[in-house]
Amino acid sequence: MAIYRRNYKPYAGPLTPAWSRWFILFRYSRRNLFRSKFMTGLFVVCFFYPMLCLLQIYLAHSVSFLEQIGIPSRVIAIDNEFFFRFMGVQGVLAFLMTALAGPGLISPDLANGALPLYFCRPFSRAEYVLGKSSVLAILLSQMTWVPGLVLFAMQASLAGLSWTWSNLWIAGSLVLSSLIWIAILSLLAMALSAWVKWRIVAGALLLAVMFFGAGFAQAINTVMRAEWGHFFNVAYLMTTVWNSLFRVDTEHAIPVVEAWIALLVYCAICLGLLMRKVRAYEVIR
Amino acid sequence: MKKTVKGIWWAQIKAVIRLEMKKTFFAKRGLWIYLVAALPVLLFIAYAIATSSQQNRSASVARQGVKRLAYQDLLAVKPGMTSEEVMAILGKPPITFHWTEDRPTQDGTNGSIRVNHEDFHYSDGQNDLFVGLANGKVESLNIRQGINLGQDSIMFAAVFQFFFLRLAVFFGCLGIFMNLFRGEILDRSLHFYFLAPMRREVLMAGKFLAGLLATCTIFGLSEVLQTIAFVWHFPPGVRDYYLYHNHGLEYAAIYLGVTLLACVGYGAFFLVAGMMFRNPILPAAAILIWEGINPFLPSVLRQFSVIYYLKSFCPVDIPASPGTPAVFALLISNSNPVPAATAILGILIVALIALYVSSVQVRRMEINYTTE
Repeated sequence: MAIYRRNYKPYAGPLTPAWSRWFILFRYSRRNLFRSKFMTGLFVVCFFYPMLCLLQIYLAHSVSFLEQIGIPSRVIAIDNEFFFRFMGVQGVLAFLMTALAGPGLISPDLANGALPLYFCRPFSRAEYVLGKSSVLAILLSQMTWVPGLVLFAMQASLAGLSWTWSNLWIAGSLVLSSLIWIAILSLLAMALSAWVKWRIVAGALLLAVMFFGAGFAQAINTVMRAEWGHFFNVAYLMTTVWNSLFRVDTEHAIPVVEAWIALLVYCAICLGLLMRKVRAYEVIR
Repeated sequence: MKKTVKGIWWAQIKAVIRLEMKKTFFAKRGLWIYLVAALPVLLFIAYAIATSSQQNRSASVARQGVKRLAYQDLLAVKPGMTSEEVMAILGKPPITFHWTEDRPTQDGTNGSIRVNHEDFHYSDGQNDLFVGLANGKVESLNIRQGINLGQDSIMFAAVFQFFFLRLAVFFGCLGIFMNLFRGEILDRSLHFYFLAPMRREVLMAGKFLAGLLATCTIFGLSEVLQTIAFVWHFPPGVRDYYLYHNHGLEYAAIYLGVTLLACVGYGAFFLVAGMMFRNPILPAAAILIWEGINPFLPSVLRQFSVIYYLKSFCPVDIPASPGTPAVFALLISNSNPVPAATAILGILIVALIALYVSSVQVRRMEINYTTE
């Protein structure tokens, strides 16, 4: 048939259910992410520490083995501080992973004007953000609370029901502390990459927000002889919240409630900035 | 008249600098560097405003007092004195506050005793004394010093060393120098330079000098403005004393020099990193960590960093406050400062090595815009 005789025919095949359309973005973005060997390698490295923790839990319950090698069994304590340390290490790795993977999720779409192609389909802005952020959320979950819960389950199975029952709150703390950290990292990375539109600079900016923010906070505290500078230090706010969630006994310069509020405000600001940029068209003056 | 080869190179470098000036100073993606440079200035302006307002309040309290007080008078009050004795020394307090407290008895019975509290606020115009009395006797004393040159210069040194030098200049240089070649690749405009009849090393030198000019101007200006904001709130007499008799002017010149040297050192590092790595996060994080752990490194390795030489120039030693953990105290300390000439030479040698590596790298460079 000649080309000019062809008429437009809409797609007649089966449609993806509306509720799961955002999952398409997740599928493709995740595939792109793991095309890089370096990212795959880093992802594998992120499981070294959980493996070490698993070994530690096993050793803590192998009293006879510890006695054989001359280590008192009480040296390895599996308590709230053990899980807090686990979250600290995995949190740093999660940040590193976000700095490398996060900025590449949105900035190419914005830099190459690809958003109209997404939004000309039955696809909302919220679904776009959900689809892109789910890549980081699921990736970081696999590094933080999922292995955390595996460790908890391992410890619970070895320590017995009484330990599990009295320490069940640790499982909740693991999930909650991971979720807030994942939310902060994902939103920060995506907001920066949406505004800078340059993947590499967005990654560097994420690094700067953490390190520079900490330095600026300390400078404010030194110059103004105050403690409110800590509100600029996301890592400090996060540590304050984690300490309270894991009931670690340390003193903080700012109350836990204020740290929670500050983190939620940061999330809201990042979400606002992100939604401002994620539009089907952009007027450039 | 025929130009020599060196003359042509110099003319080409000047042309590259001219072209790069607009890109480095006014590039939209580099505007955040101005914010980074302005933050410490804004911090010292805020400090000056807060201190000035506190001084005005102190002066107002001093005017309300019945006696004209000196700093020694404020120091004469001791714990355990009665309110009459305090008033005999300092006069009737300009600001008083009364309140009562029901304190539980010492023997643990359910009863309580009523304690009458009085708070007196005196001022000599610059320093404030807060006296807390319980049942007519001095229980607590708190002197808030208006201006303390020693403390203030340590505070300035701490902000300079730990915030301005290690973070602001560091990230500013990262933004400008990494952008010199990587930015051209992203804009797909590097081939225009490579097609020009010019040696690539000359192009690299021109770009480096343009970046250096930009960072030195931005961060040098920031340092000067910080000093102005820092001395702004001092009364004229104190300001003159600090600047001309307490090494203030000398320190300001040293800080400016250290800033410029930091731009040279970090600039050269990031120029190489910008050519060797597509993603600056890893080299930037590596250099940041390397510079951060410098005090913990063996002395041979310490020399391969910029901060080691820069710290040797810093004129004010920051004392570790009591209770500081040993690790942090080590971070603050400057155990083996090198002589000034060695430090300058060290930074210049480190920069020259970095520039040599850059020149080798730029000669081998092949453009492939599609991989970006």
